[in-house]
Amino acid sequence: MIIPDSLNGALALSFIDFFLSIVMISGIGFVLALFPLLNKLGKIDEDKLRQGHH
Amino acid sequence: MFEQFISFLGALEEQTGLSHFWWGNLVMIAIGATMIYLAVAKRYEPLLLVGIGFSCIISNVPGSDLILPGGLFNYAYQGVALLIIPPLIFFGVGAMTDFGPMIANPKLVVLGAAAHLGIFVALIGAKALGFTISEAGAIGIIGGADGPMAIFVTMKLAPHLLPQISVAAYSYMALMPLIQPPVMKLLTSRKERLIVMKQNRQVSRLERIAFPIVIGVLVNLFFPPVAPLITMLMLGNLFKEVLVVDRLAKTAANGLMNVIIIILTVAIGSTMAADKFLTVKTVEIVVLGLIAFLFGTGSGVLGAKVMNLFLKEKINPLLGSAGIASVPIAARVAHLVALEENKENYLIYHAMGPNLAGVFGTAISGGIMLALLGVK
Repeated sequence: MIIPDSLNGALALSFIDFFLSIVMISGIGFVLALFPLLNKLGKIDEDKLRQGHH
Repeated sequence: MFEQFISFLGALEEQTGLSHFWWGNLVMIAIGATMIYLAVAKRYEPLLLVGIGFSCIISNVPGSDLILPGGLFNYAYQGVALLIIPPLIFFGVGAMTDFGPMIANPKLVVLGAAAHLGIFVALIGAKALGFTISEAGAIGIIGGADGPMAIFVTMKLAPHLLPQISVAAYSYMALMPLIQPPVMKLLTSRKERLIVMKQNRQVSRLERIAFPIVIGVLVNLFFPPVAPLITMLMLGNLFKEVLVVDRLAKTAANGLMNVIIIILTVAIGSTMAADKFLTVKTVEIVVLGLIAFLFGTGSGVLGAKVMNLFLKEKINPLLGSAGIASVPIAARVAHLVALEENKENYLIYHAMGPNLAGVFGTAISGGIMLALLGVK
């Protein structure tokens, strides 16, 4: 166990976890912000997909 | 002859569960019956509460073999204990979820983490009350308002607390329409609640297909401890979005999901035996769970207000409360509170963004917690 089993440990765990969560989810937000670039690759014909589904 | 008859009756009683029946069983049977009442009469999470309530009642009838090793309820519990059921729930959820609002407005994604302060308030509170740090972590995750994730993290950190934590998590999720609005109104002005959001952009099919693949890779790369849940969520979503395996997507979202819900509810209810459930710890966990929900809602709203300090185009801070994961209940609550002020302010689509991000926020918090506590 990296974090000690004490109140200080709980405070440290909370602080690190909350901070890293914000950073990581912001990272996901950043990746999603790049998603519109995918549309430059082309367009998928949805009707064609629906017609051929199994 | 009479004495023989009495001793025969005594021996018969020993064979039944009657001799082991105590007031705790009666209390738990009443709790189980109340759950069924709430599901039937008040429509509070009927899909969950009917099964949990019934299983709770049966599990508190001494002599019932169903919860013993080899019993059907026990096998259902093994599905939870072996962490098979929670990922399958996520699989079904993925197949029925439209992640478009989250992809369309990525700046709101951060609210999915901001609304999780409650996790840490409950964690610190639990530690202060004398729980071990692993137990405190499991209790804290109630604040993520995500049932399968709460079960998953609890089974990793403190499996003996599963009944209390799962019941608290699902109960508060059902009660969110009552818990959240007072906090949301307390922390926002009428003017803020009246903010109308701009319509989101259209998300293309290519983006929708890329989303589960990209997220699946990122989560497995950075958060292996919780990867099974998010991976299955993404697989279900991929089935939905590719449009070519409609049959599989429908099975995951309907038939399979229903079967899994039956197994899950029976498993949770079967752990609610009186001798384990009726303790001071249960009361503490229930109170901490409520605190976690209140703080999570508050921190989400405040997070949105902080964002508004930097944004040219202001967002409705009610969206922050939807960052607490419970999908789609939290988004619906934000929508309804906004509607109270302006009957034409439809926030639901916008609120789904942070709401879905909340699922990832809880998973990330849980993953980091497991990593820091050295649990794989």
